[in-house]
Amino acid sequence: MSVHPIAVTINGKAEYLEVPAHMTLLQMLRDRLALTGTKNGCEAGECGACTVLLDGQPVNSCLVLAVEVDGRQVVTVEGLAQDGTLSGLQQAFIEHNAVQCGFCTPGMLISSQALLARNPSPDEDAIKEALLGNLCRCTGYGRIIQAIQDVARGGGAS
Amino acid sequence: MSGLSTVGKSVLRIDAHDKVTGAAVYADDLQFGPGLYYGRLVRSPHAHALIIKVDASRALALPGVKAVVTGRDTPTRIGLYLKDRTIFALDRARMVGDPVAGVVATSEEIAEEAARLVEVKYEELPAVFDPVVAIQPDAPLIHPDLGEYEVVPFIFPQPGTNISEHFKLRRGDVEAAWPRCAAIIEGTFRLPPIQHVPIEPHVAVALWELSGQVSLWTCSQSPFAQRDLIAQSLGIPHGNLRVIAPYVGGGFGGKAGVSMEAAAVAMARAVKGHPVKLRMTREEEFICTTARQSLVANIMIGCDDQANLLAMEVAYYFGGGSSNEYGVNIARAAGYSCTGPYLVPNVKGDSYCVYTNTPIGSAMRGFGMPEIHWGIEQIMDQLAEKVAMDPAEFRRRNCVKTGRTILTGMEMPAIDLVACIDKVTQAIQWEKRPPASAPHKKRGKGLAIMWKAPAMPPNPGSSAMVRFNEDATVNVEIGAQDLGQGAFTVLAQIAAETLGVPYEWVRISVPVDTKYSPYEWQTVASRITWSVGNAVRAAAGDARQKILAVVAEHWHEDPADLDIRDGAVVSFKSEREQPLQNMVVYGLPNDDFEGWKGGPVVGSGKFMPTYVTNLDFETGQGTRAVVHYTVGAQAVDLEVDTETGQVEVLKIASAYDVGKAINPDLVLTQIEGGAVHGLSSAYEAIRLDAQGRPLNANLVDYRIATIADIPREIHGDIVETPLEDGPWGARGVGEHVMVQTAPAIANALYDALGVRFSELPLSAEKIFMALHGS
Amino acid sequence: MLARPGLPQFEYVRATTSVGVHDLLSTANARLLMGGTDLFTQMRDGVWRPRVVVDVKHIPGMQDITMDPGGLTVGAAVTMNQLARHPAVQRLYPALAQAASSVGSFQLRNRATLGGNLCNASPCADTAPAVAALEAILVLSGPAGQRETPFYDFVLGPGRTVVGTDEFLIGIRFPAQPAGSAGCYLKLGRSRMGDLSVVGVAVVAFRDLAARSGYRFRLALGSVAPVALRVPAAESLLAAEPPHETNLAAAADLAMHAAVPISDVRATAIYQTLMVRTLTLRALESAWAQLQGAGR
Ligand SMILES: Cc1cc2nc3c(=O)[nH]c(=O)nc-3n(C[C@H](O)[C@H](O)[C@H](O)COP(=O)(O)OP(=O)(O)OC[C@H]3O[C@@H](n4cnc5c(N)ncnc54)[C@H](O)[C@@H]3O)c2cc1C
Ligand code: FES
Ligand code: FES
Repeated sequence: MSVHPIAVTINGKAEYLEVPAHMTLLQMLRDRLALTGTKNGCEAGECGACTVLLDGQPVNSCLVLAVEVDGRQVVTVEGLAQDGTLSGLQQAFIEHNAVQCGFCTPGMLISSQALLARNPSPDEDAIKEALLGNLCRCTGYGRIIQAIQDVARGGGAS
Repeated sequence: MSGLSTVGKSVLRIDAHDKVTGAAVYADDLQFGPGLYYGRLVRSPHAHALIIKVDASRALALPGVKAVVTGRDTPTRIGLYLKDRTIFALDRARMVGDPVAGVVATSEEIAEEAARLVEVKYEELPAVFDPVVAIQPDAPLIHPDLGEYEVVPFIFPQPGTNISEHFKLRRGDVEAAWPRCAAIIEGTFRLPPIQHVPIEPHVAVALWELSGQVSLWTCSQSPFAQRDLIAQSLGIPHGNLRVIAPYVGGGFGGKAGVSMEAAAVAMARAVKGHPVKLRMTREEEFICTTARQSLVANIMIGCDDQANLLAMEVAYYFGGGSSNEYGVNIARAAGYSCTGPYLVPNVKGDSYCVYTNTPIGSAMRGFGMPEIHWGIEQIMDQLAEKVAMDPAEFRRRNCVKTGRTILTGMEMPAIDLVACIDKVTQAIQWEKRPPASAPHKKRGKGLAIMWKAPAMPPNPGSSAMVRFNEDATVNVEIGAQDLGQGAFTVLAQIAAETLGVPYEWVRISVPVDTKYSPYEWQTVASRITWSVGNAVRAAAGDARQKILAVVAEHWHEDPADLDIRDGAVVSFKSEREQPLQNMVVYGLPNDDFEGWKGGPVVGSGKFMPTYVTNLDFETGQGTRAVVHYTVGAQAVDLEVDTETGQVEVLKIASAYDVGKAINPDLVLTQIEGGAVHGLSSAYEAIRLDAQGRPLNANLVDYRIATIADIPREIHGDIVETPLEDGPWGARGVGEHVMVQTAPAIANALYDALGVRFSELPLSAEKIFMALHGS
Repeated sequence: MLARPGLPQFEYVRATTSVGVHDLLSTANARLLMGGTDLFTQMRDGVWRPRVVVDVKHIPGMQDITMDPGGLTVGAAVTMNQLARHPAVQRLYPALAQAASSVGSFQLRNRATLGGNLCNASPCADTAPAVAALEAILVLSGPAGQRETPFYDFVLGPGRTVVGTDEFLIGIRFPAQPAGSAGCYLKLGRSRMGDLSVVGVAVVAFRDLAARSGYRFRLALGSVAPVALRVPAAESLLAAEPPHETNLAAAADLAMHAAVPISDVRATAIYQTLMVRTLTLRALESAWAQLQGAGR
């Protein structure tokens, strides 16, 4: 087993860690940094609960090695609110009751944030394409679509 | 009822802020520091086998391994209604995945490696997977000791067979009624086992301290039931076992009762002083936690030429899996509700729970009702067609109505199912049948109705405490859980309304912790708004009375002239006003400060239904079988691609009679989420090979609805016929919202294609093949 | 039997040049890593337990898409999203762009690579039919330098390719497409989107005066044979006679007869076979409509 020193920026903060080669980014976030907002729902790229932004792009953190993020930028759900103010999407998720058990919510927010960054006014099909890999067993997804559209109408995620 | 300030308003969820920021703590998020150990389970690769020998020596030799626990360490049986299993398999494995041993190590990785080193010698036995095969006299016996198991008085196992429960319902005379029927439809309907698939897999962390104090942190719908069952099984005084239940990432029944949590506690006992974390992988979640039972239903229903239902005969065979400790009560619930939401004068019903060598069947959203409605609701459509009546009209005529006697002899409590039918037929434009969008597509509409009672022992209790803080914010203590359904929000609304304080002043004291939280049976059966709602109302009412008594004394007025409005005591008589701040903790000084009165305000309350009666063993008849029923209707509009068999659901319209919507928008979110869950369930199945091994224990091959699969439109309506003993008339709706979706889809498919599907799951392949012949 | 939690231990080597990689591959029990979306799930399932994982996606060129008169070159580690949103790929190689965008989910496609999809050699790999229909050449790097192999020789069977133990894939070359060529990839899964394919059909079509019909169609099927399957009979039919309704249907029938699927948990062989006809017909019609549109 090899251990690797890495330098990674997480939610704007520089972190220096030593990670074993076989540690996933998901394990690093949750077990090493106690950033437990990112969830483990399958460890197999299927559920999307572990979705984070890697250099601005959403990825399944369960399918990325921690050592691979050396020198890169990671954003997790904990990094979405700025200076204590919720992002437009976070606020909209609350207002539309797009949250039930909340386990899918961090991944949903990350995927939605990435969507609005590349497409500020997505139609319903674009939202579906972007969130296809984020499973939710509670909400039936409708409120999540509404919340995203609401933010899009208001001019994009803050 | 006017003048409500919080109840009936769609206030925002009390837990939403935590959940959008990642601050909400779930069981796997708790931090235990470097002393944390990890467990992995050794599982049977055989569906049915005797365990000859477990040799852990190689596993124990691995550095980092701390203990290996086997069935010998946990010989005492455990179970909710029927104590039919041990925490680790003792002498026999009854399904693929049955836990045979548990390994504790300093990391999950080492525990996993060690688990692979535990050598288990099995002697394979013939296995049985289908409940109808399992009831045959020559079927392999899965629980030869069934007669020795402890069982609650209302469940009737049949030792020497695989039948763990047989519920009989006899009403009127079906034999005499059949000749009078103008139309009779008979069918056999099958449903596979399916899984809850909460996005959060099961996690438990247990700590057995040297003092004998035991703590269990777990994602749980049932902290108190878990305390009770685990304490009994492992011989822990109830007062020493503390179950702490943080946020739950979806339950749907899968986190009710006890599943893998007990193993975590048994493993922690082997390494006292160290917390042990046990978590299920997604693959284990599918087959090693619990599942919805399979069902084979034989149903025959007849009506006269005026479309009045006359007779119904059913036999339900639930494939309960390797343990039926919880599932027995599903068969019972299916038995006493076996007609579905219909008035049928002559009924013969037999409902069986049957052991099979498959994943453990247990509570799942709907608790037997989705299973039985699948067949009933299709036959009702067929009967309507036979007597040439519109299916909606047929249902309006025959459905249960307030005050009418239902199958168990009980009088139907107040509901309005006809209003639900009216709402959904209107929303779906029932009378219109628009054409499909393309020549190769066919379009159809379907309707289905449902009922469901909370299925539970006759006397499940709820309790609540209300404590005021100096600034008059209130802590409400409950033992109920929020699984996402919104319980904490609704209970806070009930407390605020009763106390006369703003909703924003209420805090729910969570996580639920059996050491501090008041008793709650379980968060199941759609009973929380109703039962805990009543308890919170009682506790808040108690606190309110205490406050009013102090202020009345202070003002020399009659408490009856006082009220609490918006956080202050007001008098209608003297128009005086006393803010709650400070006085709810420090009390009020007597005139001239000659002493004080009052003091910290604590209210307590409880609720327990006391009126449910026994049902006759031979007939299932009794005065009051259940506390109440929630009813509803759904209508579906869909389109089928006849060249592929793929279905697009264009719209689902739902309406439920919730008595009183304490939070209307939260009711709608249940209705919407339930419609998609119901749609998804029609396509789901746990698939096993001929040896009982899983074929699709992952989210790629066990597909649940994604955002791309949802109907184009999801419509919800709320009907409010107050329930006699509900808070402001409220009754539950969390489970009902998916009960009849699958048969509504089947009825719409028939409308579109003229083909009936009696077996779930549906699939594009099955639909295509049915259309084009095999 | 069931997947393990987390990945088993291994050593990680990040290669920034191909120098040394071949040696490592031939001496160590090594697996190549690009997006890891197949590798990691297979390691959890116990399919592989390598001592070393060699991350080759940072070798120069591996993540590049380049166009030149000879055609399109896609680095082996180009992700599905990179391919799907590349304007030139969308315009000139629509079948490839559509196949790439049909893989899994958006976040998965940020990691999943074209090369990984081909090297994993699953019968249901979505890009394989498009790559087959586009007659791509695969470029392998070995100790003795680079070698090229046409895709139709590349996959030997499920999970098996011609890549030697000391070699790795560095790029995929797509010959230039005739002006105005059309193409599409149609996929049928068990749900509306995002599933593995039960049947995948790629069609590429262009005007060709050398063909008697004036048109050339290339047709490849996925998920219905051990490897992506070209259907020469259907292709010859459409080269011989100008496409029209019955011709296209006849070609779809030929495709159906060429398919040799096996029943599995996703679908039965008979359904897959029948769906080959449906999807092929739809794909041919779509390509034909594109050609006619372009002709006007
Ligand atoms: C949830 C989920 C959904 C999926 N859905 C789809 C789908 O819809 N359609 C589909 O086609 N696939 C799907 N896949 C499979 C997978 O994502 C694709 O096959 C992907 O393209 C693989 O690329 P990769 O870069 O991740 O490969 P890796 O996992 O990195 O590698 C794949 C294999 O190739 C080997 N390899 C890696 N690099 C090289 C190289 N340069 N030369 C030779 N061998 C190499 C690896 O050792 C490994 O065996 C899905 C996977 C998951 C987890
Ligand atoms: S945990 Fe990564 S996709 Fe499910
Ligand atoms: S809110 Fe529970 S999984 Fe989405």
